[in-house]
Amino acid sequence: MRRWSRRLRNLAVGVLDLPQDVVLEVPRITMIGHLQMYIENHRGVLHFSEKELRLLLTNGQLIVTGEQLVIRAILPEEVLLEGRIGGVKFLEKT
Amino acid sequence: MWSAIPGEDEGEYGRKAGTIMRNGLREWMNGHITITIRGKRFERFLNMAVRQGIQVWNIRRVGSEVSSCDILVQDYFRLRPLLKETGCRVHVQKREGFPFWLLHLRKKAGFITGVALFFFGLYMLSSFVWNIEVMGTKKLHPETVIKAAAQVGVKEGVWKVKLKEPQDIQREMMQLIPQASWIGVSIQGTKAIIQVVEKEEQEIPPPLSPRHLVAKKRAVIQTILPEAGKKTVSVNQVVNKGQILISGIIGNDQRQKAVAAKGTVKGEVWYISNVSVPLSRTQYRYTGEKQQHQYLLVGPYALQIWPWQVEPFAQAESSEKRYSPSIAGYALPLGWKTVTHAEVEPKALELSQEEAVALAKQTAREDILRKAGTEAVIQDEKVLHVKRENGKVYLSIHFSVIEDIAEEQPIVASPPSPDPAP
Repeated sequence: MRRWSRRLRNLAVGVLDLPQDVVLEVPRITMIGHLQMYIENHRGVLHFSEKELRLLLTNGQLIVTGEQLVIRAILPEEVLLEGRIGGVKFLEKT
Repeated sequence: MWSAIPGEDEGEYGRKAGTIMRNGLREWMNGHITITIRGKRFERFLNMAVRQGIQVWNIRRVGSEVSSCDILVQDYFRLRPLLKETGCRVHVQKREGFPFWLLHLRKKAGFITGVALFFFGLYMLSSFVWNIEVMGTKKLHPETVIKAAAQVGVKEGVWKVKLKEPQDIQREMMQLIPQASWIGVSIQGTKAIIQVVEKEEQEIPPPLSPRHLVAKKRAVIQTILPEAGKKTVSVNQVVNKGQILISGIIGNDQRQKAVAAKGTVKGEVWYISNVSVPLSRTQYRYTGEKQQHQYLLVGPYALQIWPWQVEPFAQAESSEKRYSPSIAGYALPLGWKTVTHAEVEPKALELSQEEAVALAKQTAREDILRKAGTEAVIQDEKVLHVKRENGKVYLSIHFSVIEDIAEEQPIVASPPSPDPAP
């Protein structure tokens, strides 16, 4: 069932030219320099400290490292992060 | 949509993920608090709070197990079950927004009422008329205007609300002050301005006393235009000084009346003018050389600053400029003076005889016109005699000038004849 659905999604992206983030369950990330980061389609906060924000994704984790990180706003699927962002890293669910 | 994926279903979150923009005004109106949360499972707490639709913002880590975030006041009690579940403890750090502001105000109720009372008092005091200004009076005494205004109701200390309409006040004041042709009442702040325009009374010229017009000088009458009185001379007649030109006594022998004679009489008057003009004269001209001397003014003393030593000019014209600063109308004792010396040199100027004669005529003409009055016209001029002597030209010129020769002479009632001798 799951495999079928994924295939169908990939097909939709290819054939209907839909944006990937809408169809695939992946985050959409907007960054303004290293100052601000806007993440959509997350699944919850796993860890948050001044130096690291770890977000749960549908297929893994997103790790944002940096300094003086502050979550300016948070909604069930969106996070607005500010601070000095140093790196973004994806952890694929194995 | 593919609703097979959990999380796509918006009903689960109770809020549609859409805008993340914060509404600062709403936050302020509802009131928000900054809380610190102590506990190991802060992330779990945060996720649960967000899922429940609690607005959380400005989340930051303060210590290893301490975080702070902002929430709306109304959400504070919704946190309790979450805290219990995650074993976190909450502490309110800061309160901001309208509800807290109101609470704050309640503490300072005395001060607030004071401020309100002050403004109320200011308003009340400014709603009275505190002074009355009368403008535009010339003959009328301002006091009478103020009294009339008080009768109408405009006086010091009256409440502005109780005043009548300005038009009514104006009309009633007009009735009280008949000398005024217009009265305007306007209220500016606490001042009532009464503008008065007085009736202009026509000025009657003082009645002229009976008089004659007599000749000022010996002359030949050119024109005579009597307006009042009886003409006693005719055109081309020679008149002597003091002769009556227009008589102020009219009527025949039986019925006589003295009037103020009026009219214009123009006569030809002869003048002989003797002028002398020197043939050589000295004129001073600028050479273009200039010296500027700077002085410092200290009180009544002038101290030369620059130049130290210069050869002064033999002949010079000097002009000075003073600069003395003043502060708020008080002159300072210090000042600056610049004296400019412009060198001049004499130059001898020789006049030819024609030039001298022309110059002499010019001065003679000016002299004659000064004597004869502004309306005089030179009719004719004749050079009688030219003589050159001792470097001077002597001229005598005869002028005939048309000028106003009438002069007023009052008619004095003849004194009563002395008693006949016994």
